[in-house]
Amino acid sequence: MTRHAVVGVLMVLSLIPASVFAQAGSVVPRGPDGKPDLTGTWQGGSTLRGSWDDANAGFGVGGSGKNPDVPPVIGSNERPAGREAAPYQEWAAKKVLESFNKRAIDDPTSRCLPPGVPRSVMLGLFPQKIVQTTKEIVVLYEYMHTFRMIPLNAQHPDDVLASYMGDSVGHWEGDTLVVDVIGFNDKTWLAGTGTFHSEALHITERYTRVDRDQINYEVTMDDPKVFTKPWKLTSTLMLREGTRVQEYVCAENNLDPANFEKLLKEGVQIGR
Amino acid sequence: MTRWISYLCGLIAIMSITADRAAAHHSFGAEYDVNKPVTIAGVVTEIDWRSPHTFFFVDVTDKDGRVANWKFEGYPPTVLARLGWKKDQTMKPGDRITVTGWRARDGSNWAHSREITLADGKKLMFGPPAGTGDGGNAPAVDVR
Repeated sequence: MTRHAVVGVLMVLSLIPASVFAQAGSVVPRGPDGKPDLTGTWQGGSTLRGSWDDANAGFGVGGSGKNPDVPPVIGSNERPAGREAAPYQEWAAKKVLESFNKRAIDDPTSRCLPPGVPRSVMLGLFPQKIVQTTKEIVVLYEYMHTFRMIPLNAQHPDDVLASYMGDSVGHWEGDTLVVDVIGFNDKTWLAGTGTFHSEALHITERYTRVDRDQINYEVTMDDPKVFTKPWKLTSTLMLREGTRVQEYVCAENNLDPANFEKLLKEGVQIGR
Repeated sequence: MTRWISYLCGLIAIMSITADRAAAHHSFGAEYDVNKPVTIAGVVTEIDWRSPHTFFFVDVTDKDGRVANWKFEGYPPTVLARLGWKKDQTMKPGDRITVTGWRARDGSNWAHSREITLADGKKLMFGPPAGTGDGGNAPAVDVR
């Protein structure tokens, strides 16, 4: 390309507003293997582009952000707005409702336990950091200070111990990262108050970085012991450049169990 | 009861109760009453920056000169930092502030904080909206 042609291209590019590059259609960063690079600090449960400040100013996190027309950040123990109800078997649905009516005082995270999957991924109050290599992807969650290691093109170990965050392995299907998660204990909630599961839980996650700012997240939860069919939810992760994942040690001063016990003992009305 | 009321500088009649929006780690509804919004003006006595939730304390003086110390709960330190709070700078003991929130169900001098108006008039969020963490408006399952 001649020097004049380069100058010409640059002149044309300079006429395009910078905001265009930050919107849909912008280039997806790629790693050395040509796969989309998911590395970065992300906010779950949001659809707003921009920095943490841009997306969460005004009402603050948990409010509706700067633009009241977009869906707000959802809570970590709420039913995602507008999504299908969890397909629990009848006996299990009653148990879910019981937790909801007790205002989630039996929430495992009120005892500072790890939130599990997909709850950790879909919450918006705390950031999560993805670090990607060609062999392994690591996700660091500020909420409850947990992490996941996702080896690529690997098999689950044959001696997996039941855990809160499960055992993850991943592979690429085109430009989508597919993560298979098994090995859960039965002590976490999935997405919404009381959304319990058994150790038979099998989760499939699909992460697709659609542009510079956004990862589309799709999760399918299969647990034949509590569901009538697999439960599928979708959400988004939004890039938050400049945001640091920091320390959150829930156990430092957790007063909730003692408070809840006191309220119940004193007969304070907390039900709906 | 009138004593309590005298401590309150004003009750907000209509507040934008955007329940179920945030993702704090525990139930608002078990400990706090959304039907008891409160606005209190006083002098900060202590700020305890801790996880999972930060607490601060405010001395409130009623018209007869009686002082009561109120406890307010809010976001953890990292969330506050991302909202613009700087530890030991933005708000210090001795500062006169006004805080809005919701009272605890047990009726003590304890509340969940939402917005703080600092001595210089600047407003910052200190806690999530009412309803946070208690499951939102709808259960995950359809009620039949």
